[in-house]
Amino acid sequence: MPSATLDKALELRSGRERPGQFWKIDLDAIDFSSLKAAAPSDPQIAAPSKPGLIACGLETARRDHAEIFNRAFGSVTGTLNDKFAALSAALCNTGAFIYVPPDQAVDDPIEITYTAKNGALFPHTLVVVDRGARCTVIERIEGESSDTVCGIAEIVAAENASVTYAAEQNLPLESQAFFTRAAAPGKDASVTWCVAEIGAALSVSRIDVLVDQPGVDAHLNGFFFPRENQHVDMVSTIRHNVGESQSQTLIKSAATGRGQARYLGNIRIAPHAQGTEASLRDDALLLSPHAHIDSVPALEIGANDVKAFHGATIGALDESLIFYMESRGIEREAAEKMIALGFFEPVVERFPTAAMRDRLRAALEAKIA
Amino acid sequence: MSERGLRIHQLRASAGGTQILKGIDLAVEAGHVHALMGPNGSGKSTLAFSLTGHPGFKVESGSVTLDGADLLAMPPDKRAKAGLFLSFQYPAAIPGVKVANFLFAARQALHPGDLPPAKFRALLLEKMDLLDMDPSFMGRYLNDGFSGGEKKRLEMLQLAMLAPKYAILDETDSGLDVDALRAVGESVNAMRASEAGKDTGFLIITHYPRILQYVKPDVVHIMIDGRIVKEGDAELAQRIEREGYDKIREETAQIA
Ligand SMILES: Nc1ncnc2c1ncn2[C@@H]1O[C@H](COP(=O)(O)OP(=O)(O)OP(=O)(O)O)[C@@H](O)[C@H]1O
Ligand SMILES: [Mg+2]
Repeated sequence: MPSATLDKALELRSGRERPGQFWKIDLDAIDFSSLKAAAPSDPQIAAPSKPGLIACGLETARRDHAEIFNRAFGSVTGTLNDKFAALSAALCNTGAFIYVPPDQAVDDPIEITYTAKNGALFPHTLVVVDRGARCTVIERIEGESSDTVCGIAEIVAAENASVTYAAEQNLPLESQAFFTRAAAPGKDASVTWCVAEIGAALSVSRIDVLVDQPGVDAHLNGFFFPRENQHVDMVSTIRHNVGESQSQTLIKSAATGRGQARYLGNIRIAPHAQGTEASLRDDALLLSPHAHIDSVPALEIGANDVKAFHGATIGALDESLIFYMESRGIEREAAEKMIALGFFEPVVERFPTAAMRDRLRAALEAKIA
Repeated sequence: MSERGLRIHQLRASAGGTQILKGIDLAVEAGHVHALMGPNGSGKSTLAFSLTGHPGFKVESGSVTLDGADLLAMPPDKRAKAGLFLSFQYPAAIPGVKVANFLFAARQALHPGDLPPAKFRALLLEKMDLLDMDPSFMGRYLNDGFSGGEKKRLEMLQLAMLAPKYAILDETDSGLDVDALRAVGESVNAMRASEAGKDTGFLIITHYPRILQYVKPDVVHIMIDGRIVKEGDAELAQRIEREGYDKIREETAQIA
């Protein structure tokens, strides 16, 4: 890997100074230069067999599908000028390439599993969905060791395409996770991000949708739940650069123990992006007196003929709900658990496949126990 | 020797530092229907919450026994396990918790292991049918986005599913249309006619004699300003409908 690229990445600033009333970790002070990277490898990829569907590792993609691959690889995340994306790109040692040909409907999910062991992982998942095609991708990030994972997920969706990308980061509690997830939907395309940040001591992620074409339907769903000493830093940005598109952002978060989180939810509507409809809803639940969540919705609206909505709540469990359950014979602890799990349910329900939802519910339940 | 009934003796309770219940004496007998009426703010809901252990209400003195057991010594869930049920005047909405799952958890808590999921489901469907509730309610989030009447029907569904020994219905009839009121009345009567519910004692808090046409009260208690000031038979409810509370206030003021 050319060290000039790496040096440039190391020099970039994270740009993550706010929000963070209680936040103490300086993301620009994290030492990436001494990380031991794992040897290059392919992730585990499970895909249904469909004519023309490509699901392979990066080496194969470069060799056998150079034309489509090279045109798209880094085309979205490369424009973000993001420190962690640049690091991941410079040190990339694993990844997957998914290509769905025009008008092909891949209904069964394509599942990609990255497992950290024997060194840091820098995965890059590229999903290219051609005109009128659709697919669902499930990305699981796991670890047998507590090595750092710094990755990219990139979606290039052509006109009328439809993509759901669900990422589940469930690394060991000692590891660090950095993820840049960005999508560039074409005209009338639909893009859905579902992001679950469950594991790692420090989880830093950004999720972007660049709306540069009209008729886009963008959904951004995410949740996180730091417990003990976990720290989560999430930024989501929907950039409405052209009008006549719509986006919905839904983020649910809870924190317990000494868990810390900060979330910045950006909606940017450019001055000429008339007819945009954007909504942002984020709810935060504090389950312990030492837990903190800084949650900031940031709407920048340049156009006048738009519908933009945002709603944010933060608070502890509602005593009147607990009492209602107790009055039905349910013990306080069980009631608290049910209410807290219920709090996440509206976002969990948006993840694809019953198996994934059940896994997420179990992970949430384990955090409350 | 334990005595049956929900027995309230000289109960004083406060909320926000103000005494609201000023020495309540009232006994709900097993298998009987008691109506509790009284003007707005007289303390009816406070009584219901004090009995069920709502943390916002402080019992200052007095005693309450449920079939001989000291109710006030128990946390709210134990009171439910002892057989007490409250149909809330304003039921809570709990997003993300599905009606069926909630009811199953409650049924399991109160009657552990007595109904396997399939039988539970069959019973639930039967009780929903009785209350004219669409089966789709099973999959909805608890009271989330429910209309006022739908919330009350759901309270009655819980009553039917949980089969308590003593049930307090706090204005379950308020805000119901005629059909819903009939459905609620029939559901209570079906329960009273069943083996599981024939000994259930009811305390029906209401402002109107309408519901009492469906569920005939054995005793009507009148609460004014935190005290039970009068007791009578079903006719007392009719009298209040005609005359309001002023006459009773005057009568009882003279006694006091
Ligand atoms: N937390 C509180 N702090 C102060 N006062 C309270 C509190 N809760 C209830 N009260 C007061 O206690 C009184 C009795 O209230 P309660 O709700 O028991 O009346 P009610 O008989 O149920 O009335 P309604 O028929 O309107 O339902 C009212 O004056 C009410 O304002
Ligand atoms: Mg009341």
